[in-house]
Amino acid sequence: MAAAALCWALRAARQVLPSPCTRQARSYYVDWRMLRDVKRRKMAYEYADERLRINAIRKNSILPKELQEAADKEIAALPRDSCPVRIRNRCVLTSRPRGVKRRWRLSRIVFRHFADHAQMSGVQRAMW
Amino acid sequence: MWCRVRGGGGLAARLLGAARPHGGARSKQELFSTSSVFSKDKDKSAASKESTPEGAAKRQEDGAETPKQQLLDIIGNMKVEVSYRKKLQQLKASENKKRAMDKLEGPDSEGSVPQGITEDAQRGKPLNPELVKAASAVASSFPHDKKQTESELLAQLRRHEETTDKQKKGGTLSIRDVISEMTIKRQSPAQRRARISGLMSLQLDEDGQRIRRERSSTQSVDSRGSLKVGKRLNIFTKAPTEPEHALKTVSSPTIWDLEFAKEVAAVTAQPPRNGFEEMIQWTKEGILWEFPIDNEVGMEDDAEFHEHIFLEKHLESFPKEGPIRHFMELVICGLSKNPYLSVKQKVEHIEWFQKYFEEKKELLQEI
Repeated sequence: MAAAALCWALRAARQVLPSPCTRQARSYYVDWRMLRDVKRRKMAYEYADERLRINAIRKNSILPKELQEAADKEIAALPRDSCPVRIRNRCVLTSRPRGVKRRWRLSRIVFRHFADHAQMSGVQRAMW
Repeated sequence: MWCRVRGGGGLAARLLGAARPHGGARSKQELFSTSSVFSKDKDKSAASKESTPEGAAKRQEDGAETPKQQLLDIIGNMKVEVSYRKKLQQLKASENKKRAMDKLEGPDSEGSVPQGITEDAQRGKPLNPELVKAASAVASSFPHDKKQTESELLAQLRRHEETTDKQKKGGTLSIRDVISEMTIKRQSPAQRRARISGLMSLQLDEDGQRIRRERSSTQSVDSRGSLKVGKRLNIFTKAPTEPEHALKTVSSPTIWDLEFAKEVAAVTAQPPRNGFEEMIQWTKEGILWEFPIDNEVGMEDDAEFHEHIFLEKHLESFPKEGPIRHFMELVICGLSKNPYLSVKQKVEHIEWFQKYFEEKKELLQEI
């Protein structure tokens, strides 16, 4: 029984534990703003379907207006953090809100740092 | 040189055959004459008394006690110290003569002369007096030691009868019998070299695993004999199969168990030696996709295309006229063109709308 428990624990641990090859191990978010952004993203994911459907009723020329007004009220009643508009694409490493390239999710400073150290695959200093 | 025991042969026939000519020795011709006379006498004496093994066995059953006394007398007189070389020579000679006789006679041949390793002069069963007489006569005709030959022949007769009895009873195999039956194989020097080289290569292997398996597979099928073919000796008993462990319920592992597990994983996990192992590790963790890229990873949609496109059957609970129906038909049209949702998700979508409009029924009726 102990052996079986150990095996199970081993399997779980393997998933949790990062491999011994050196990689950045991060257990905290960079700052509180990043954490709030994460919460907003999660909430937006939860309410996405509902928001879509209610908006489909609202942005409609076929249904009666009363229905659409009711739908307006409903969507306003949803929690504020559920709207995707409040999400800010911050830098993943530094939580910088501005100057973030979407493709790499990194701020310009971090991007430049990694690119100069040749740690960005396929990125080269431009020269033409 | 050594041959297998196939079965009892006609001993008297063999004896006669031993006496027959082979080559062109005069003494053997003399033997031939005497033996032929003897054989005629023998035939005349009793009806159908050919010395076949079955006949001897039958006769043996009839006369059990009276020949025993004769046998005992004979045994008492015999000396059973036989030199190995002489015995071999005699057996060779007898074998050759028997073979010649077999070629001449044809169908009467009943196997080669049994050549045993040891000779037991004293056996419990009494021999047929006729056979004993025949043996003594043949022995007397031999140029070599008469007593020796007689003892040998009697021993052979006894052995032969033993085997027939065993066969009758359906005798059990004993290791002794099996070993006595076994033959010495001669290995050609080429085979020996091959074996030695195989052994040497096994020892010298660095990457032992694969090559060892190959060798073992080839060794089991040698050219002359295979290890897996042959009678079972019933020496070893099968090990009892372990009972399968029932799935043991695991209570939630304690923190200490988890810690220990993490420690063990950290210690045992070796860093990747090369880029391939690194990629393997990443694939296991889920960082790297599996190649060739499967476009439908994570998507397990078993539904057919018609379930995606023809969604009007879900619109049964809606009113058939009015703006809501119009609206829902547009929704369905949009869903049918959506390749990213599964059928289940689409059905959920429509059901949500249905529920929503159910709730809003009072409002709609006011309108």
